[in-house]
Amino acid sequence: MSTPPTAKRRNQTLLRYARAFRSPRGIIGAGTLLALVVVALAAPLIGPGGYDQQTSQTLVGASGQHLFGTDELGRDILVRTVYGLRTDLSLILTAVPVSLVIGTLMGLSGAVSKALGALTQRLLDIILGFPGLVLGVIIVMIIGQGWWALFFALVFAGLPGFGRMARAGLLSEQDRDYVLAARVLGVSTGRRIRRHILPNIVDPLLVQTAIFMVVAIFIEAGLSIVGLGIEPPAPSLGAMLNVGARYATTHPSYVLGPGMVLLLLALSFTLLSDALNEAAIKR
Amino acid sequence: MIRFLVRRLPVIALVLVAASMIAFLLPRLMPGDPAAAVAGPDATPEQITQVRHDLGLDRPVVEQYVVWIKGLFTGDLGQSLQYRRPVAELVGTRLESTVELAIAALIFMVIIGVGIGLIAGSTRAAWLRSAIDSVNTLLLAMPGFLVGLLMVLLFGIYFRVLPTSGEVPLSENPEIGVQYLILPALALALAPASGIARLVQTSMRAVRQQDFVDLAMAKGVPPRRIATRHVLRNSLGPALVAIGIRFGDLLAGAVVIEAIFARNGLGQLAVSSAQTADYPVVQVLIVGAVLIAVAAQLLTEIGLARLDPRVRLE
Repeated sequence: MSTPPTAKRRNQTLLRYARAFRSPRGIIGAGTLLALVVVALAAPLIGPGGYDQQTSQTLVGASGQHLFGTDELGRDILVRTVYGLRTDLSLILTAVPVSLVIGTLMGLSGAVSKALGALTQRLLDIILGFPGLVLGVIIVMIIGQGWWALFFALVFAGLPGFGRMARAGLLSEQDRDYVLAARVLGVSTGRRIRRHILPNIVDPLLVQTAIFMVVAIFIEAGLSIVGLGIEPPAPSLGAMLNVGARYATTHPSYVLGPGMVLLLLALSFTLLSDALNEAAIKR
Repeated sequence: MIRFLVRRLPVIALVLVAASMIAFLLPRLMPGDPAAAVAGPDATPEQITQVRHDLGLDRPVVEQYVVWIKGLFTGDLGQSLQYRRPVAELVGTRLESTVELAIAALIFMVIIGVGIGLIAGSTRAAWLRSAIDSVNTLLLAMPGFLVGLLMVLLFGIYFRVLPTSGEVPLSENPEIGVQYLILPALALALAPASGIARLVQTSMRAVRQQDFVDLAMAKGVPPRRIATRHVLRNSLGPALVAIGIRFGDLLAGAVVIEAIFARNGLGQLAVSSAQTADYPVVQVLIVGAVLIAVAAQLLTEIGLARLDPRVRLE
């Protein structure tokens, strides 16, 4: 009996987000992101030899054969940038959703009991007290440098934002008459959250997700530039900037290539967050 | 004000205690035996046992924690494994570089942020407002390290007017030291400054709608004075909060900027210590970083409470 209304509502929700992609910002943002994902997926076609194919032509400038030139080991910088983009996308597209889910659950835990809610809030306060890079340093020291260290650094860094947003939604909704009524009628906590609280916080959480994607890209780059990122020879956009900075004045394309792709990636998510925000306000 | 502070105290204490515990537990969470790391690669099992005893690693964990905390308060910060020098001395030599960078960036951030916000918030020229808007949007999307890398490219290749690599302490030679400071501090400050400018601009627009501005205009107060004394003063609240919050980001960003401009500050020390598992140094830097971040947050809240009495009463 309850299936048709739910399905209808789901359709309406989807329609609303589809509308977000009709605005110019939404179209450009989604289009850029889609293009970047396609390029990343096509990495083996662009560089059939892989990201570590070395040649004797080291540090060659930009040319028709090597669009961004070659690096200090004679590897094509364009090929490495594309593989680096792959690393960045694989990181943010896994770590940010995980952070979103855990953070939201932490924020909503106050619905189960007040004490649990207060406890998770203090936990989030503690995480918030640690600057992002310090979190990164601690994680690197415990589990060692690499993809997983970056993954956990991103998950932790996102928790306070998602958690606070979910809790704000919970606090503003749980004392409304209709939620109280549901409670009096004996609707279970889980069902109350799913039916009454979650639909009200989906919009801000989605915008926050897009915003945190940008932050995550910059955290990855920051940790990699100082040398705590992915271990060579594997490339990431930040790790390439780390080495590229050393050759910046003699081989500008070493910095400009990966830097441009990084900026495009960040820009696509910024535009998407704007578009989602607009769609949410219009409702 | 005091009651306000007292209410904030438990959370602050909690964050600091948690930070100290995480820092303390760090070598115990790391793979490998800290005693073996201290003793060096060629140590015999007996020597490692001896080192473990000397460091107090064979005593109960709670006792070790108390001893370590006492050390923090009395200035005994331990010995670096990598440099074989006291941590306090190491931090001391690197402190000036990072403090200079952070303060210079903070000054740029406040001047540029409030200045541009004031211009954008009080000008009637639409073209100027939209020009500032677009520059702001661009800068907001550009992280400090990209601004820094672009500056290295521009000033290292085309306009060789300012140095892009290395540093000279201000205490040694202020004139040259400042030259080395300008580019990294600007790189660090531009993105947060554009965020602050935007906040000042929007809140100035909101304050302008208020009745007391109409009253001031009716009284015949000159527009310039209305902008600075009446509107700007009441628009600074959100900007102040942002400055405080962004000061923490600024310090984190300083680590990356130091790497790009080849400055030998605390950030570089933290990174090289993390890479060589030099945990006594990292422990101290973690506690220090959290302490400063929390202090910045608290100062922000105090400043806000002073500007707006409603915050205190909440």
